[in-house]
Amino acid sequence: MNRPDHSTFQEWLNLDADGRLAPAERARLDEHLAGCEECRGEREELAAFQSLFERTAVPVRSDFADSVMAALPHAGWEGRSPRTWQFPLAVAAMLMLVAGFLIAGSTAASVPSGLAALDAMGGMVRAAALAGAGLLGASWKGIGLIVEDIISSPVSLGAFGFLVLCLNLLLISLVRRRKPAAAGLGRGGREANGGR
Amino acid sequence: MTRGVEQATDEDLVAAVLAGDRDRFGDLIERYQGRLVNYLFRLLRNADDAHDLAQEVLVKVYQVLDRYDPQYKFSTWLFRVAQNAAIDQIRRRRLKLVSLRQEDEEGEGRDWDLPSPERGPYGDLRNQERGGAIQDAIDALPWEYRELILLRHFGELPYEEIARLKEMPLGTVKNKLFRGRQMLKEKLRDFLSD
Repeated sequence: MNRPDHSTFQEWLNLDADGRLAPAERARLDEHLAGCEECRGEREELAAFQSLFERTAVPVRSDFADSVMAALPHAGWEGRSPRTWQFPLAVAAMLMLVAGFLIAGSTAASVPSGLAALDAMGGMVRAAALAGAGLLGASWKGIGLIVEDIISSPVSLGAFGFLVLCLNLLLISLVRRRKPAAAGLGRGGREANGGR
Repeated sequence: MTRGVEQATDEDLVAAVLAGDRDRFGDLIERYQGRLVNYLFRLLRNADDAHDLAQEVLVKVYQVLDRYDPQYKFSTWLFRVAQNAAIDQIRRRRLKLVSLRQEDEEGEGRDWDLPSPERGPYGDLRNQERGGAIQDAIDALPWEYRELILLRHFGELPYEEIARLKEMPLGTVKNKLFRGRQMLKEKLRDFLSD
């Protein structure tokens, strides 16, 4: 390796001030500093430079972290947090268990085995699938008949409109309940991940 | 989380927050508040604005925390959001970046309110002079040097993170920081000997 020139040593001084200089380069720099008054002065200046920044740092308000925590809204992703799935999953599992016990109880006389419950549940699933397939085909005809029925009389049309209105109000109230109270967000700004 | 908060990486803390431990975001705030406020202070030139914007940035980051990609450093992401927010605010307010003093609504100049490590009125005055001189020197830098100096010395980001954030080669970052410091040093020579 060629002997570094003076500007290289000065760059190394900057890297050293940041703690970013490799050990081998650091050793060469120390060797150079022992015999170079200009570079020693440069190193002292750099240290003074960093000290100047530190002395003039703005103190953070003592309540800053608390105020940010208090201003944190309910983020959209929190609704998708794994913990929020625990309750519905637990309820579903409980229902399955109850259904299993009920079916097992009703068939216990003929087949005194725990497998009977599973067999019965399988039968239920097959029946539900068949019924669903049938309903799907029938539903299109059904929808047509219902719409025809609704628009045939002003009373049923009005009742239908009222029902739709109520459902919309219910939806709006649910959405509003989840809206974050974003205190401290008076100013807008770029989408947080916009520059990513 | 098995590791203590002190040993936990930023990425550990983010994962804990996403798993439902909201208080761990407080640990991230504690970790970055000093750097973030001081970085924004040097861009906005007002301590109150810096605190307000730092809060806004942290709230924004929390809102989209699920989009954080752990293959990047959390600090890189945070300071990118902060820089974008500061630039937006500077544009909106049309700040004059060459002035040390900022006029309030009555047209009165306002000095920087900086803490003094020295006691007494002389110490306060001297520190205000220092703060003003630093701000003048930083404001006088061309933007390409200024943004790197702020990220390095006030955001305390390592070179590699700055390179990633600015999408610059590492060598360019080193070179620009070196040149930016030389420019600053010339302007701050009187204060470096204090």
